[in-house]
Amino acid sequence: MHTFDYIRLHSLEEVAQHLAQGPGVRLMGGGNVLLLAIRRGEEAPQKVLDVKTIPELRDVRYHHNQGLKLGAAVPLQHLATGLEVRRHYPLLYQTAQKLASPQVRNRATIGGTLAWASPVSELAAPMLCYDTVCYLWSPRGRRDVPLHAFYLGDFRTVLMEDELITHVHLPPPPQRSHGVYLRQTVRHDGRRMIAATAVWAMRKQQNLTRWRIAVLGVDDRPKRIPEAEAALEGNPHPEDIQRALEIVQAHIHPQDVIYARADYRRVVLNALLQQGIHQVIHQLQSMRS
Amino acid sequence: MKHAISFILNQEEIQLTVDSHRTLLDVLRDDLGLTGAKQGCDTGECGACSVLLNGVVVNACMVLAPEADGAEILTVEGLADEEELHPLQRSFIDHHGVQCGYCAPGMLIAAKALLNRTSRPHEEEIREALVGNLCRCGAYPDIIKSIQVASRARR
Ligand SMILES: Cc1cc2nc3c(=O)[nH]c(=O)nc-3n(C[C@H](O)[C@H](O)[C@H](O)COP(=O)(O)OP(=O)(O)OC[C@H]3O[C@@H](n4cnc5c(N)ncnc54)[C@H](O)[C@@H]3O)c2cc1C
Repeated sequence: MHTFDYIRLHSLEEVAQHLAQGPGVRLMGGGNVLLLAIRRGEEAPQKVLDVKTIPELRDVRYHHNQGLKLGAAVPLQHLATGLEVRRHYPLLYQTAQKLASPQVRNRATIGGTLAWASPVSELAAPMLCYDTVCYLWSPRGRRDVPLHAFYLGDFRTVLMEDELITHVHLPPPPQRSHGVYLRQTVRHDGRRMIAATAVWAMRKQQNLTRWRIAVLGVDDRPKRIPEAEAALEGNPHPEDIQRALEIVQAHIHPQDVIYARADYRRVVLNALLQQGIHQVIHQLQSMRS
Repeated sequence: MKHAISFILNQEEIQLTVDSHRTLLDVLRDDLGLTGAKQGCDTGECGACSVLLNGVVVNACMVLAPEADGAEILTVEGLADEEELHPLQRSFIDHHGVQCGYCAPGMLIAAKALLNRTSRPHEEEIREALVGNLCRCGAYPDIIKSIQVASRARR
């Protein structure tokens, strides 16, 4: 492997010092993406900065009024085991349990996974449904960016050269809500994704509202389809669901991959979405008012 | 860059100097002569290099050696207790969990991680725990059976 200097960081001030020394510096969370890129010769950093040892990036805080704040260096395995995640953000919990393998989840971090910005990044689907906000930090200051605006497509994000994710914030979940995550992949560990979707909504009296539809594998980034969400607002009838499905099809741009053609990915997404929407409706309607 | 690191490996303290860019797997196999963990894919996909790092299962090919500083590591060589095989090892032998044997060290470590948190896993939990471990012989049914029997025998 290409040689570099590995440096453990302990504070954001240290990040700033290293970043100020110019290019050739890369942040590392779990290293699942970064080390592979170095091994393949796609990246050749001089310094690899380990952010997992910065204490504030390992925070996990839940408060019923404030929601859930997770440090960027928290491993994905926490999302598949944490009690507060299981109880209050079940869609995130279920998705995390299916994501990759225990080996990968024990190392991969929330920040590294979001910054990777892959169109098939499964973490994005529940996080988009829960209106996640990313907290970014650079020596120039802090800013908050909603996850749906964080991705720019083709593995790019709004992150600047000298900026990192410190935390993500998930607002408190409404009482009567339900979400499902459905995926079609070639391999059982989630690799080689054809398409996937997360569907979420809440119930307010007799209405099903605040619909969220997130799709993966069918565009250059993980994304929500707000126009289709709007079509489901209220108590969707079969023709509303049909319209929402058509809107989704008009807003995606799947690519051919060696294991699935673009038109097949469309059909698969449609089937998953239809199933997801019906499951959410069924669950919400069977809750007692 | 060189790092003087120390860690606990199979209950023994180790001190050595490593380069930044080497992996934990390189150091285990090439410097310490522990060849139980295998170099399969070198991309984190096959699980043949699984070890426990501070009690959780990871792929040693995706961990940098200097990251091991201060950690506690268990490899397949540390499973047996002196003369006596670990119940998982015994069960893999008795129930043909080992065919060609290449994946076995990783399977054993992934199974150990599972039994550390769930003493009596059901089949679905075992399957989920092994999702990151590939067996090219396709001996999965016997591997699952070996783990099931070992977990029942444990207490
Ligand atoms: C074998 C295998 C199977 C997988 N299967 C799946 C799967 O089924 N589903 C799925 O969704 N994914 C899967 N993945 C992908 C996996 O989720 C990602 O590789 C992983 O989550 C990346 O996180 P990381 O912390 O390891 O990132 P790293 O490799 O550490 O970092 C990735 C990028 O983010 C940057 N970075 C790191 N931390 C920060 C930060 N705090 N702020 C800003 N930038 C940062 C790095 O500089 C780098 O550019 C798989 C990966 C492997 C290796």
